[in-house]
Amino acid sequence: MTSRADLPKISVYGDHAVLVDWETDTFSPDINDTVHGLAAKLWESGKYIEVVPGYDSLVCVFDLALQSSKSTKRHIEDVLAGHDFSKSKMGKLVEIPVHYGGLDGPDMDRICAASGLSMDAVIALHSRDEYRVCMMGFIPGFSFLSPAPKKLHHPRLATPRAKVPAGSIGIANWQTGIYGLESPGGWQIIGRTPLSIFDAKRESPFLLNAGDRVRFIPQ
Amino acid sequence: MTISVLHSGTQTLIMDAGRPGHRHQGIPGGGAADKLSFAIANHLVGNRWDTPALECALGGLHIRFNKDYTIALSGAQMWSQNQGMNLPLNKAVQVEAGDILTMSFTRAGCRAYLAIAGGVKAEPFLGSVSTYLPAKIGGLNGEALKTGDEVEIGEPQGEPQNLPKGHIPLLSNHIVLRAEQGPEWDALSDASKRYLFTTPFYATTATDRMGSRLKGDLVTLDTALKMTSSPLLPGSLQIPPDGQPILALADGHCTGGYARALQVIQADLWLLGQIAPGAAVSFRRSFAQEAEIVLRGKNSYYADLIPGFSF
Repeated sequence: MTSRADLPKISVYGDHAVLVDWETDTFSPDINDTVHGLAAKLWESGKYIEVVPGYDSLVCVFDLALQSSKSTKRHIEDVLAGHDFSKSKMGKLVEIPVHYGGLDGPDMDRICAASGLSMDAVIALHSRDEYRVCMMGFIPGFSFLSPAPKKLHHPRLATPRAKVPAGSIGIANWQTGIYGLESPGGWQIIGRTPLSIFDAKRESPFLLNAGDRVRFIPQ
Repeated sequence: MTISVLHSGTQTLIMDAGRPGHRHQGIPGGGAADKLSFAIANHLVGNRWDTPALECALGGLHIRFNKDYTIALSGAQMWSQNQGMNLPLNKAVQVEAGDILTMSFTRAGCRAYLAIAGGVKAEPFLGSVSTYLPAKIGGLNGEALKTGDEVEIGEPQGEPQNLPKGHIPLLSNHIVLRAEQGPEWDALSDASKRYLFTTPFYATTATDRMGSRLKGDLVTLDTALKMTSSPLLPGSLQIPPDGQPILALADGHCTGGYARALQVIQADLWLLGQIAPGAAVSFRRSFAQEAEIVLRGKNSYYADLIPGFSF
């Protein structure tokens, strides 16, 4: 157990939260596995108001009237010491049909031009690998996925759009993700899924959870 | 029976104690932005502290009661009248069927809470009826109250109560928040570290339940951060590249990519709900032991009075 996934920095986040941060420069699947494994274990303990996993960090929120950041840090260290989360079992696999390009993917031309690839090649590349859902938020159902292939990396729009339709699939630097709801947004949109990622009226409102895996099926 | 919304005001939302425990799915806990004033209003009319009530931001709400009710107003100071008679803040009042309540605009604070004995009825989502506008959940069809809406009121739960004077929170248009350093504190320039705690900021008109964009001295980082998006909490002060901080509020985003410079302490989170556009906002440095003492003190001060409530 000498991988970097074992050695996060645990620091206070104000008086009622603790941040666990792996401080990596690049995305690491092992670290993300550890984040989700640790998050699940911490949430099971019932000690926390929120346990929020990120790509390479995790925040747990507690009630300062019931526990301190010191005891929280100790709890996290104990849980980390007692488990190897780097091979955590990932969640379910969800196939997501995507219509790439055209009106559903207004930034497809830009990604083609920047990568020097044809649209078909971009589609093939973007849908080649299985992604994992690394983190949810900033809005309900927004699914931050593991990195897109390097050729597709592209900065955000200089000026965000006021409205990005629900189901839009975008690229921001090395990240790729799905908009769960219509919202303002600055990601480069290359396609859209007709599936509803978040639907408050559905029995299970979230199609995806952090830890799940996603495969895009071009339509 | 119901109340009728004659004028919905700037923004009136159905709120309860919120839906904590879903930030990992992108759903903020939300709920009453000023939990203390909300709890007081409910307590006064004999409701459990977390019974759904109306949160009226900035003012302008006019409603008609279609039955006799016990009501109470708490929070922001709005000049409010029932049938033309001034309504006191923080006091249970009897109103009659047909009475019309009008709320003028706030003089201090941002949000007033109108509790009605029996509470407001609405559709729950994940255990809470709190309205969360970005996802259209809670409230009436996930929206703010509109002129013409009829809102169902439940059956009274208990007797009206009084509030000792000492328990009434004092609000002004200069909100002082105790805060501890956030995870990226060390990235701030030395000058910024100093004036974050000495100069007041002003809440701009870009202020809503999600956050407040503050204006003041530029807050700068020593080195530009290359942050991967990471979890974010209500009461976090974020520093974007333009140096004008953003304070995350009750409905704040669950993740963010800017430096988290400060975190408001748990005991002061209720005050976040009373930041009106134009208000001055100051941060006062709090240290770990102090935050815990303040929280315990405030919790025990209100615990006997309002069963089940804590900050």
